[in-house]
Amino acid sequence: MPLVPVPKPTFAQKLKRFFMVDLLKGLGLTLRFNLGALTSRDSVAGKGIYTEQYPKVRPDVAPRFHGAPRLNMDPETHDTLCIACNLCALACPEDCIDVIPMDVEVVVAGKPRRKKVLDEFIFDTSRCMFCALCQEACPTYCLELTQDFELATYSRAGFVWNREMLEQGRETVKYES
Amino acid sequence: MFALLAAPTIIDSLLLRFFSEQTVNYVIWPFIQVGAVVTITAGWVAYATYLERKISAFIQARLGPMRVGPWGLLQPIADGLKLLVKEDFIPENADRWVFFVAPYIAVVAAFIVMAVVPFGPDWAVITDVNIGVLFILAVSSVGVLALILAGWSSNSKYALLGALRSSAQMVSYEVSMGLAIIGALMFARTLSLSGIVGVQASNSIWFLLYQPVGFVIFLISGIAENNRAPFDLPEAESELVAGFHTEYSGFRWSLFFMAEYAAMVVVTAVATTLYLGGWYFPYVYQLTEAKGYHNAYVAVSLLVFLAKAGLLLYLYFWLRWTLPRFRYDQLMDLGWKWMLPAALINIVVSAIGVGTIQGLNGFNGMKTIVSTTNGLALTPTGKGIAIAFGVGNLFLTAALLSLINWRSRDFNLKKQRSKIRLVDLPKGKPAVAPAASE
Repeated sequence: MPLVPVPKPTFAQKLKRFFMVDLLKGLGLTLRFNLGALTSRDSVAGKGIYTEQYPKVRPDVAPRFHGAPRLNMDPETHDTLCIACNLCALACPEDCIDVIPMDVEVVVAGKPRRKKVLDEFIFDTSRCMFCALCQEACPTYCLELTQDFELATYSRAGFVWNREMLEQGRETVKYES
Repeated sequence: MFALLAAPTIIDSLLLRFFSEQTVNYVIWPFIQVGAVVTITAGWVAYATYLERKISAFIQARLGPMRVGPWGLLQPIADGLKLLVKEDFIPENADRWVFFVAPYIAVVAAFIVMAVVPFGPDWAVITDVNIGVLFILAVSSVGVLALILAGWSSNSKYALLGALRSSAQMVSYEVSMGLAIIGALMFARTLSLSGIVGVQASNSIWFLLYQPVGFVIFLISGIAENNRAPFDLPEAESELVAGFHTEYSGFRWSLFFMAEYAAMVVVTAVATTLYLGGWYFPYVYQLTEAKGYHNAYVAVSLLVFLAKAGLLLYLYFWLRWTLPRFRYDQLMDLGWKWMLPAALINIVVSAIGVGTIQGLNGFNGMKTIVSTTNGLALTPTGKGIAIAFGVGNLFLTAALLSLINWRSRDFNLKKQRSKIRLVDLPKGKPAVAPAASE
């Protein structure tokens, strides 16, 4: 590409430089941001301050976010909804779910029958990639990936969630103030 | 409220029971004043750091310190504690004694100036030296020595380069700073800071109106003198790590930090005194002192002074987060080719202005000067002429500066090239890398 002489500044450009219009514009911008932050009014798009006060105020994650798994229970009887069908374990591409069923004796129409119910449910979150295929596979809407994202633990063993953790949720520190 | 304002009188009578009047007037009260000023300045310096962090955060749509105390208000205390317990590290082969002494020189040079700053009338000023302006200029220049010593003794290339830069910068801007003051002094006819405020108060005017050019030069030079952005080359993080205090840590580093903020407070205080009327504000005198509330008058004046200085301090932070850092040659250009001529032009024009006012006094029955014994007391006509000279000087200075720098290099490196490569790609087509042979 050829070299060309620098174009001479127009009179308007010279005036702009003389009165330092760009400097004043910049000062105006920063002042606008400052006042927007103080009044918490719309300075750019929506709010004055973008900082999320994370532990104090929990952020809203995206609606389709997949987080910690949970085993839902019947809201009235508090029995698990899981029927130990093992579909989630089969659906899991990472093989991180173990459904351990057990047989119980029940009486159906006066006759003794054996029924398969859930004994233990092992979910290894360290191997999980949160694809939610298990959630898709579940016929009773029992297994669900919630919006909870605080999954860190101090040991590898802590990543393996058992049935109790999956049903009750894991204890996390909640910050006051 | 009034009980608090009556406190000085009560304490005075209490002290007079135990000590003679001379002791009370010349020893005990000054001690109380010095203690108050040092404490308040130190607190103000600490909270200036908080303000700086908050304002920078707000400008960048952040929140700033929020966790220590409500709205992070205890953050400076937490910072101070952290700095106190940090290791005081001395580099190998450092010049130990100089390394030890440098931060103290910086702090002393910054804080001692507070002795002559008139925070208010009467008891709100520690001492009224009759060469106050010269004292401030002289003592604040000692701050450069601290930076040079710190940079030299650290035995580090970054520190040394930072010290070199800062000394060059401070010396260049000292000149225009000193010259910029002269214009205001012509109207004040005194070097005492209290006297300068007194002249503005008795004339009911701010010297900003007489000396807009002087004010601008003083502010820019002050920012450069304090090594603050956009002139923070001595501490340019991207080039010099931290400049002259690279090797300092813990409490010594915090002393440098305090010195920097104290120097800022000093420059804002002096700018307020010289150009913004110091503690003078219209109608304060009539509403308080004239009605007999002397201590209320002093307290309100003190608040006025702090408000004015605070506004200027905000300007510091505002500029810092607006402007990018200058290049070194731009800095020197600005100092020697723009600030210095502007200061000289300001002196000449102010002198012509004062001369015109004096010449017109008594000419055709015009009356411009009331008296010259206590500053230049002007009649409304005289004030009009002085303000006209001041405002006209803005344009004259700008025009003359453009004339002086007509053929000088441009600040913009792009414009220094006589020819540029025009890159205009056809619109709507993806950019293609030029062939290697071209």
